[in-house]
Amino acid sequence: MMALLATLHFAQPALLLALVLLPILWWLLRVTPPAPRRQEFPAIRLLRGLVAVAQTAARTPLWLLALRLLAAALVIVALAGPTLRRGAADEGKGPLLIVLDDGWTAAAAWPSRLAAAESALDRAATAGREVALLTTAAGEDASPPTLTVPMPASEVRPRLAALRPKPWPSDRALATDLLSKAEPGSVVYVSDGVGDDPAFRHALAHLGPVVEIRAADAPMLLTAPSLDAGTLTAHLRSTPTALPRDVAVLAQGNDGHSLARAVLHLEAGASEATATLDLPPELANTLSRLVLEAAPSAGAVWLLDETNRRRPVGLLTEGGAGDAPLIGPLYYVRRALDPGAELREGDLATLLSRDLSVLILADVVVNDPVQVKLLDDFLAKGGTLIRFAGPNLAAHPDALLPVSLLETDRQLGGAMSWAQPPTLAAFEPQTPFAGLTVPKDVRVTRQVLATPASVLGSSKEGAKIWATLADGTPLVTEATRKAGRIVLFHVTANADWSDLPLSGLFVDMLHRLVGLAHGITAEDAEQATQPLPPTQLLDGFGQLTAPTAAALALPPADLASLASPRHPPGFYGQGAARRAHNLGAGIARLVAAPAVEGASVQSLAGVSRDADLSPWPMAAAVALLALDLLISLALRGLLRRADVAVLLLLSLSSAHAQAPSDNPALATRLAYISTDAARDAVALAGLQGLSDYVNRRTNAALATPNAVHPGRDELGFYPLLYWPIGALDPTPDAAWAKALNDYMDNGGIVLIDTRDSGSGEGFAPGTAAALERIGRVLGVPKLTPLTSAHVLARSFYLLHDFPGRFDGGTVWVQRDEDRTNDSVSPVIIGGNDWAAAWATDAVGRNLYATIPGGVRQRVLAYRFGVNLVMYALTGNYKGDQVHVPALLERLGQ
Amino acid sequence: MNAATLTRAESLAATLPPLLVAAERVANTVAQGVHGRRRVGQGDSFWQFRAAQPGDSAREIDWRQSARADRLYVRQTEWEAAQTICLWRDCGARMRWRSPLGAETKQARADVLLLALAALLLRAGERVRLVAPGLPEFSGRAGLARLAATLAATPDSETMPDAALLPRYANVVLVGDMLAPMEEIAACLSGLAARPVQAHLVQVLDPAEQSLPYEGRVLFAPIAGGPTELVANVAELRPAYVARLAAQRAAIGDLCAGAGFGFQTHATDAPATAALMALAAAMAPDAVARR
Repeated sequence: MMALLATLHFAQPALLLALVLLPILWWLLRVTPPAPRRQEFPAIRLLRGLVAVAQTAARTPLWLLALRLLAAALVIVALAGPTLRRGAADEGKGPLLIVLDDGWTAAAAWPSRLAAAESALDRAATAGREVALLTTAAGEDASPPTLTVPMPASEVRPRLAALRPKPWPSDRALATDLLSKAEPGSVVYVSDGVGDDPAFRHALAHLGPVVEIRAADAPMLLTAPSLDAGTLTAHLRSTPTALPRDVAVLAQGNDGHSLARAVLHLEAGASEATATLDLPPELANTLSRLVLEAAPSAGAVWLLDETNRRRPVGLLTEGGAGDAPLIGPLYYVRRALDPGAELREGDLATLLSRDLSVLILADVVVNDPVQVKLLDDFLAKGGTLIRFAGPNLAAHPDALLPVSLLETDRQLGGAMSWAQPPTLAAFEPQTPFAGLTVPKDVRVTRQVLATPASVLGSSKEGAKIWATLADGTPLVTEATRKAGRIVLFHVTANADWSDLPLSGLFVDMLHRLVGLAHGITAEDAEQATQPLPPTQLLDGFGQLTAPTAAALALPPADLASLASPRHPPGFYGQGAARRAHNLGAGIARLVAAPAVEGASVQSLAGVSRDADLSPWPMAAAVALLALDLLISLALRGLLRRADVAVLLLLSLSSAHAQAPSDNPALATRLAYISTDAARDAVALAGLQGLSDYVNRRTNAALATPNAVHPGRDELGFYPLLYWPIGALDPTPDAAWAKALNDYMDNGGIVLIDTRDSGSGEGFAPGTAAALERIGRVLGVPKLTPLTSAHVLARSFYLLHDFPGRFDGGTVWVQRDEDRTNDSVSPVIIGGNDWAAAWATDAVGRNLYATIPGGVRQRVLAYRFGVNLVMYALTGNYKGDQVHVPALLERLGQ
Repeated sequence: MNAATLTRAESLAATLPPLLVAAERVANTVAQGVHGRRRVGQGDSFWQFRAAQPGDSAREIDWRQSARADRLYVRQTEWEAAQTICLWRDCGARMRWRSPLGAETKQARADVLLLALAALLLRAGERVRLVAPGLPEFSGRAGLARLAATLAATPDSETMPDAALLPRYANVVLVGDMLAPMEEIAACLSGLAARPVQAHLVQVLDPAEQSLPYEGRVLFAPIAGGPTELVANVAELRPAYVARLAAQRAAIGDLCAGAGFGFQTHATDAPATAALMALAAAMAPDAVARR
């Protein structure tokens, strides 16, 4: 109780002096009897003379008096503005200095950090103090850390709201210099708890009373993973904590799919952890990043480039004829691989003296025991051996083949034959060539043949057929040997035996085969030394974005340097030369920072904004006065039981009418998931505006939108749920998630809006992270960007982009069509803040300006809304539209 | 007659048809329960055959009946002598009031009662007139409508009727709330007894006037204006008030009994039929019963 009282503060304490007026009020109320009720009465003559006998003292009853005094006291208390302080009491005079760490370590609890700073701002605003703001990390435009001059809290608020965590560390040395210029009355330091910089803390402690707000979680940093023949080991670094921690690491592909997951276990007091990700090499080669499942930050992402899986290809050129143009055995292979792969040529001993991923032998017979030993070692290390047949191999098959070859080869077609040379059969889906288109003009005139036994059964250690001719004869066979594999093309690598090397298919097949091979870590620095331009950079939350204006090209030698505004973490360079610059590479150690001396330390979790309590006493006073009114009426005889009943019934029925609005089963209506008051208002106005537009433009008749709480309200009545996500939204509980998942499984559509993409980036920081957190408990299917080929772009209007209040953000829909739900995407995710674009007031004026703006954007926003409603109401009815080109083509034939 | 009076008369006349209908309805229910008087006299309806006696005119002999027997018979009709009944109802400001407990104003109930009684009487062949100077007598069925029109046109009056306006030995029915000061009522009744007339009083009260159903602190005000009465706690006063009302009733009852008049009370929350029944029964020996 005392603790509660200690946190209770009044905005206008002087008003509490009015409480001394209460005794005067008491006296006034005592002497003033209640006014009588006037009643006309014909038999008044009979009452005359009786009155004096029954006259009693008409005084307000004591309890009624107490009730009124209580109401008056509550009004006074409410006007005095009581506030419940949740933060530390920073009692100081003069300007307040807010020091905010906004390096990568701050990204973890960024919304809470902002809330803590805003809470301090609120208090400074109440106390009328000026506020200066110091951010310790360099800005996105490579400006050094900044200290603002003291200014009113209202001026600081927008600056604070515009801050975002940076993907590089704080620069405390520069911040320390800035601190020497500040002369604050007191300091609120929202700390990331990391850093070995006593000078900074010393400078802070000398400025005045310091409140240090620290997050409970230590920042986590992924460092360079190690790759050994197919197994990827993730390394995690953190500051030691008293409790053991578990954090999962996800290995993600280029399209963002998680391909593997492993749990990193940090012992109590440990600062490093490792975990092994088990991945088949085919998948390992497509990995693009490692991501911690913990709070998102630039440090929780490790980007993988091709360095870890370079696949040098060796071409054996000991025959001497390999270089002849057009007819040389390796001519086409070299042409096919040259642009993308790192090619090496030479004799076997030279090639295998260095690490090699793929070795290609074109019509080479390996019989020399030394060479066989070399190749066996190569296979044992996981190498891929690609062999092409030819006259030599046909005549002298050796042991390093996936299948046993027949003594004779096979001639097809030709001048003396009736038969046509056969074409290739389509590739089976389980082979690595699946999905490649087979050209009709590729014909095979000669090939070596496998013994039927070797391809039918499991002899020869399980040979697999990866490609066949149209008549079923194997064309490409494969067998695994030790850790590696041998692939045999039953034709030559030049155009002697088939048209295959002449076709584009040959290029694709070789690229696929090379892509299957185990990558090896580059051991040599033979890459170019010219700087690599930034292509995709990580932001403070670990999301890949377009390069910032301040980012400069990075010399390859500096890839392991510490990330900075000039060189933020991300991808540098194009295509195969793309290199990843990771934050974890440049940070050698993480040190937990001690608290500032003499500071009152406070947990970030315990900080929330001050609660304004004044509505509660005011509401209580109003309720008491209403009760007093009823009692006075009753005392004067103006109130009978029936009246009371009617009053109660009225108040009950009005309360009842507010709780659930109209019966949702009786009319089609849109709905939004209720979040907080501000977002609810926008969502309601937006859906109302959209409903009006839809009612005006289409045959659909939509009633007033409803707010719903999943898990509490029945969702089945609504075709479409709009869900604006906020950064601080709690992760849904089980009932909530189940209701929403059931809704999506049974054909409902949820439109999730992060309200901060495209032109509106930064309007709602942290919502993307919140979406990621919330999305984990929802059954969100695999997603793909929404294009104009999707039904949603054609369900009413033909649309090419899908703006809301903002334009340019990608909209995501389900990737795979799900026949059970009419191929309707159960979830649509975007960040264009559609509700704000649709929102209208009572007279139909739009409430929010579009960004970048224009009538056209507004119209398109509404059209997207109409399409969405039509999509929700009619499903894939307009799906035919998508296939119109194909249908027209078919009709034409 | 100025325009305002005319307007008021018209507005009152507009309410008359439903009033008449209500009066007829009440009278109908009562007429069914009242029997005739079985006396030979001047009239239209057959009463009895009696043997012709010396002195009977030959025209009086009912030849058809006489042909069936050996004797001559005379056809006699039932006696239908008409008498004038004087009617009066209070039309003061006090009467135009009703409480939520009452079905209608006392004035409306008094008018209905008066007209219903008149309907009954007129149907029985009696003549009725109002206690006012220079007003005609009404008779026959058509008389009821004219009576109602006249009733509506009578000016408001706060006083009890003047006995000088009544013919001697007349039957008079007085309907009102009888809440005037006891002296006024006593003076009126003694005037009537001295005339002499046969009178019958009906006291029409609102239920609220009977029970004083108010609570708490009430400022009572008269209808027509005047000094108000502040009552701090009505509940405390209620028994005293009810006792006073009973005392006034008892005093009127005593006066009536002394003069041989009838006196009955009626509350507006009770059906008008009950009051009319009682009224008809009380008047039966004199007026209605002598049909």
